[in-house]
Amino acid sequence: MDRGERAAGWLECDTRFIPAHYQPASLIDLALGRGVNVHRLLQGTGLFHEDILAGNRLISPLQFLRLISNVQQQMQADDTSFLLGQQWLPGHYGAASHALRHATNLLEALERLVRLQPLLWPLLRLRLRVDERYVWLDWGDCFGAGGQDVFLVEASMAALTGVSQWLSGQRLPWLFHLAHTQPRYIEQYWVHLGEQLRFDSPLNQMCLPRKYLHQPWAGASATAGQVAEQEGLAMLAALPAVQSLLDGLHDHLLAQIRQPLRLEGVAESFGMSPATLKRKLQKHGTHFQEQLDQARSSVALELYQSRGYTSDEVADYLNFNDRANFRRSLRRWTGLLPSELREWLGGQR
Amino acid sequence: MTSMLATHRIKLTVLLIAANLGLILHLLSGEIKPVSAWDWLDVAGEGGSAVLILVWIGLLLKSRPAGYVTDLLFTGLGCLFFSLFMDTVDEFIALPVAINWDGWLESGPMPVGFILLTLGIFHWHREQLAINEQMRNRERLFREHRQFDKLTPLGDANYLRAQLQLALGEASNARQPLSVIMLDLDAFSRINREYGHAEGDRLLQVLTQLLLLNLRQHDLLCRLAGDRFVVTLPHTGERQAQLLAGEMGQAVRSLAYKSSRQGERIELSATVVALMARDEDTSSLLQRLNIAMARAKQNLTVQYG
Repeated sequence: MDRGERAAGWLECDTRFIPAHYQPASLIDLALGRGVNVHRLLQGTGLFHEDILAGNRLISPLQFLRLISNVQQQMQADDTSFLLGQQWLPGHYGAASHALRHATNLLEALERLVRLQPLLWPLLRLRLRVDERYVWLDWGDCFGAGGQDVFLVEASMAALTGVSQWLSGQRLPWLFHLAHTQPRYIEQYWVHLGEQLRFDSPLNQMCLPRKYLHQPWAGASATAGQVAEQEGLAMLAALPAVQSLLDGLHDHLLAQIRQPLRLEGVAESFGMSPATLKRKLQKHGTHFQEQLDQARSSVALELYQSRGYTSDEVADYLNFNDRANFRRSLRRWTGLLPSELREWLGGQR
Repeated sequence: MTSMLATHRIKLTVLLIAANLGLILHLLSGEIKPVSAWDWLDVAGEGGSAVLILVWIGLLLKSRPAGYVTDLLFTGLGCLFFSLFMDTVDEFIALPVAINWDGWLESGPMPVGFILLTLGIFHWHREQLAINEQMRNRERLFREHRQFDKLTPLGDANYLRAQLQLALGEASNARQPLSVIMLDLDAFSRINREYGHAEGDRLLQVLTQLLLLNLRQHDLLCRLAGDRFVVTLPHTGERQAQLLAGEMGQAVRSLAYKSSRQGERIELSATVVALMARDEDTSSLLQRLNIAMARAKQNLTVQYG
């Protein structure tokens, strides 16, 4: 199924599709368990505790992000994101959680996480890449997380670390690349993620040697897992749309990355006017150039990391004729010059 | 914190009744002065002081459990408030010259209040010394409530950093060794997952008490993050620290912790590492300790951390 061409529409930051009793509920439980006032917690979200308990309320990414922001303000603890992340996967989200719980190895778990992502991990999108030596996981922002981006990245990485550790029965030697600067509370990263941490990286990424992908996991039921995945896919198809606008745009840009890309042309393939696309991107706190830079940056990193391209080869691939221009652009995408990037890439082995 | 106020309901009621009786007594015997006769400076000075004392009373009662120290402090402040309140009422109501009990109402409670307050503060000081004794192994030299851990009755990572920096300075000045121990439970995330976070939180609180029992007089225990604790050991060499670390590991293994729901025993073990500080700063010492912990965890037979 080519999601990019579906005209049915997109999940946007104000689409109500997240069941309030799924991921938001564990956030509320944690906050209430630590003595946060329920009214302060739900302030500005347009939600009432009774709605969530009723178990049929859907909320939008914007409401969820507001809830996260309230929790951050009210709890003032450094470990909230990590504790929540550990609870969020596999979670209790019906068939989707079962499918994850019964994965027979890491690769299957990651593939299911990617396929069922809007149900399991609605706010960030996991992109999976396996090359000859490593598995790479990139986290992309689905709805414009704004000030909650670090919180979400911490939660996501803690979730994946936690669930892989739980299901495999061992602490996997993940390497973490984090786009933000090392925070004051580094000890939380040590305890909940691990020691292999690289801050100020070009993007949010986790990496693991490939040999861990196929190690069989005890306690999984392959049949139950497959059936649950089918049910999960049916749940996914019942959503207003199966992919967020930003993810759709990212995929489109990746597919066309070697062509000249302009807002007008892209808007046309998305079946909307340039003004509409511009307005929608603005609603998500971003703009076309930023999305294009992100797409190019992730292509460039893939070429460097997985195919061992040199800077000249990357520049050629992305149709840069002018080296100086490429240096400037790379700097804008990743914050690093080609030589610094090479050094950074060399440091991860 | 409203529950704390509830235990003081009777005290507040008595104060309210006394203040009202004073007011009624004034109203019955005197006449209200015309506005032109009000002395605004006195009203602001005396009335403002009365209001501030009322705020002190509120904060005091809100933060303190009932007990005789609280009673003393409250009665002292109550007398001061009553006295200032009568002074303020006096500004609005003119009493006939024949009446002289108003002077008693204004000036009588004041010295009594000061004496009671002084007694209260003296006993508060005694109480604080007793609490300091209870805080042994949990804080050293200075207190910073913003650095209290949210879950356990210990200092958090920021408090640890500040204390470690002090201890490193002291150690190098006095040419004394300083060691640190890091303790991390094995398979704690599994307990969180299988028994829930509330159980995990409770276990950490129990563990805190257990670890405190195994420390010496001047050792300091802090919670770094999650299930990871750090002990600062002044005047201690590496060998002694290793010995203490071994004892702490043993204590955790021997702890027969019971889950709160079913009451079954949860088997526990911890990885404990000890290091002696070199000539280094806090962050590099913590970093080194952390790497030692990661190595020790790799050697576990059941790798689940």
